[in-house]
Amino acid sequence: MASNTQIYDSTSIKVLEGLEAVRLRPAMYIGSTREAGLHHLVYEVVDNSVDEALAGYCTEIRVTIHIDNSLTVEDNGRGIPVDIHKEEGVSAAEVVLTKLHAGGKFDSSSYKVSGGLHGVGVSCVNALSETLHLEIWREGYTWEQDYEKGVPKGRLQKVGKAGKKTGTRITFRPDPTVMEASEFDYDTLSGRLRQVAYLNKGLKIFLADERGETPKAHEFYYEGGIAEFIKHLNRGKNVLHEKPIYFEGSKTLPNGGEIQMEIALQYNDAYSEQVFSFANNINTVDGGTHLSGFRSALTRTINAAGQSGGLFKDVKENLSGDDVREGLTAVISVKVPQPQFEGQTKGKLNSDIQGDVVQLVNLKLGEFFDKNPQVMKKIVGKAIDAARAREAARKARDLTRRKGALDGGGLPGKLADCQEKDPTRCELFLVEGESAGGTAKTGRDRRYQAILPLKGKILNVEKARYDKMLGHEEIRTLIQALGTGIGKDDFDVTKLRYGKIIIMTDADVDGSHIRTLLLTFFFRHMQALIDQQHIFVAQPPLYGIKKGKKIEYIKNDAEFTKEILRRATDNITIEAAGQSLVGAEARKFLAQLDELQLVTRRVERRLRDARVVELLVDQALNLDSKADFQDQANLEPLLASIQALKVVAEIRPDEEHSAFQIVFRDNTQAERLISVGLQVTPEFRRLRTLAKQIGPLNVPPFKVVREGKATETKENWRDLLIFVKEEGMRDANVQRYKGLGEMNSEQLWETTMDAERRTLLRIDLKDLVESDEIFSTLMGEDVESRRKFIEDNALDVRNLDV
Amino acid sequence: MKSPELKAKCPICRRLVPAGEPDFPFCGARCREVDLGKWATEEYRIPGEPVYLSDGERMSRDDGE
Repeated sequence: MASNTQIYDSTSIKVLEGLEAVRLRPAMYIGSTREAGLHHLVYEVVDNSVDEALAGYCTEIRVTIHIDNSLTVEDNGRGIPVDIHKEEGVSAAEVVLTKLHAGGKFDSSSYKVSGGLHGVGVSCVNALSETLHLEIWREGYTWEQDYEKGVPKGRLQKVGKAGKKTGTRITFRPDPTVMEASEFDYDTLSGRLRQVAYLNKGLKIFLADERGETPKAHEFYYEGGIAEFIKHLNRGKNVLHEKPIYFEGSKTLPNGGEIQMEIALQYNDAYSEQVFSFANNINTVDGGTHLSGFRSALTRTINAAGQSGGLFKDVKENLSGDDVREGLTAVISVKVPQPQFEGQTKGKLNSDIQGDVVQLVNLKLGEFFDKNPQVMKKIVGKAIDAARAREAARKARDLTRRKGALDGGGLPGKLADCQEKDPTRCELFLVEGESAGGTAKTGRDRRYQAILPLKGKILNVEKARYDKMLGHEEIRTLIQALGTGIGKDDFDVTKLRYGKIIIMTDADVDGSHIRTLLLTFFFRHMQALIDQQHIFVAQPPLYGIKKGKKIEYIKNDAEFTKEILRRATDNITIEAAGQSLVGAEARKFLAQLDELQLVTRRVERRLRDARVVELLVDQALNLDSKADFQDQANLEPLLASIQALKVVAEIRPDEEHSAFQIVFRDNTQAERLISVGLQVTPEFRRLRTLAKQIGPLNVPPFKVVREGKATETKENWRDLLIFVKEEGMRDANVQRYKGLGEMNSEQLWETTMDAERRTLLRIDLKDLVESDEIFSTLMGEDVESRRKFIEDNALDVRNLDV
Repeated sequence: MKSPELKAKCPICRRLVPAGEPDFPFCGARCREVDLGKWATEEYRIPGEPVYLSDGERMSRDDGE
């Protein structure tokens, strides 16, 4: 705080205007006669005390709300001058209390810097108070004076001794015949006083409320000033740097006055900007010269720091003001003699200090960045992210912006549209690749089916591989064909041109990747299509089995196996464990073996040793509950079998589950666990269930009997399965369709597109939440973690989509 | 319809977002826009199998058909 030894007595008090009008038109002076105006009265009195603090004479201000809604403001400043004012012939204190625009603040030699809202002064408060009691401690004496509605009840009286105590106490009760509001609000005052305390570091402000059953009180005292204010504003947020950046500066004016500038700032990880500017403790809600100076210097300084730090390697343009202000919390507080405000609410500072603020920020923030390169990098990095986001938003808008006048018609050239115009009856097939697109165009029912071929592959020359993606043009075309637009403000599902959107891709890895891309895009940016059940996946057949001229189509591996086993068991019998299995019984046994083969493969992904997994198929083992693992002896037989394979294995306590586990080493010497953790997995449980169901029959050798004659003997169930499948395939003309292109248009129509015969998979939101997570993982930059994710989740690449 | 217990991670900032939020699965309009920008600038690519092409093919083939 500045200190000042200028003389402060009656000569400092200037009379500018009379007081009469205040009671007639209170709103002109204090804004309103409601709550805002009522509290404004308090601020006027407090501001006088703050002026004393700014001048360096006051360290404490006490504000007390009394039970009758009168209010006291007391400070330990110098006390209002009590000597007789030459021009007015009464005490200076009385002048301050009775003359509008009177007071030390209107004379720059007594206060270099002065607060106060609109400078109407404490006389306004007096005019609008039913009663006002003034006490002054000054020059060793106590002085008192009483007022009613602004009129003194007598002269300022010396009433006693004060010793060394100095200060001023004003107790006033707003006049209910003028003021519409009469109840002071603790929280309103508390908010304002907190702000004042932040803006004047080191100043203690006490607020007490005596009205309630339990009196309320709070002390506002901030050693750190506006830096603490910043912390308060950023509470609960993730900040980029722990300590707010703080600097201050001052400049002496030719007329002896002084400009004081204080700035504190801190970044958080959010995107909004939270900047408060103050001039002479007044919140300049519309900013002004101090704020614009701060903004331009901040932009310049951050750009300069980024440039010299070499952080702009892949940034084309300079960072804009918007970029550097993302996540910024800042407080700019200036104190200037006789501030000039403009605007309806006087919320904008007009004083000529922009250059001074710019200079201060350039110098001090620049210095800070030099000394704290880590913080600088984080801030510049955040601004670069913002610049990229801005660029991304621009690119996103390009998706819907027409390229030029020639683009006119609105529908993409690649779209083969249907004749029907009623969207509810129309279908759009999204087909990967030109050739499949051509087949679909020929095969479709053009009355209601439209085809949009999409190109989903691109050669990544740098990495020498084909990447799957939806190019900019593909997405543009897709959005155009759907008719819905894109983006938060433009997407409109009611403009959708088709009731069903059917994704039709090859039944291979590439096809599933394109499907994943499309579904992810719909999920993220056209979710209403999924909510309203417009999105489907076509199910082209995977196999065709030719019988004479007819082809039987089969859509997946499970169905295919079922069909093969059905054919095989038409003419064979299986002898196992002394039983003869025919027809349905044989089919059931073989289907179980087939499933066992699948689940053992799954369990192998965890245990990495097929021989160990094979041991687990033994129905005699007890591995089916936590209790089974809590009995160490129960695990011994399995341990012995594993060790018999010459695998290093042992039993160890499993503390996590209060049980035991078998730990063995796979062929890479990594430890694998047979534990409660394994027992709870669905694949292990299924394996054990099947092992028990099959158990009674799973006793090699197995004999295959055809037409009464034993033709084959198999020593284990896997060989049996292979043999039977081969039998089933014999004489069957099986075609496996790797892609849509392997079918002709007629086949594609009858298997996949014909609404009478096809099956469609409807996609719902739940499917996609998981899919989106997998997509994000696939998109992650780290190939190793991507690989691990896939491995840990034991997923086939084919299952990586819906 | 969206069930209330359904949650997803925001594809951009990884914050957990409950279904039913206006920008689900995004945490807000900002992340949505960034994501859309990524689609528009072809950043989403699923790496495929390696290819071995002659120089001539490398020059002429880029449409993947």
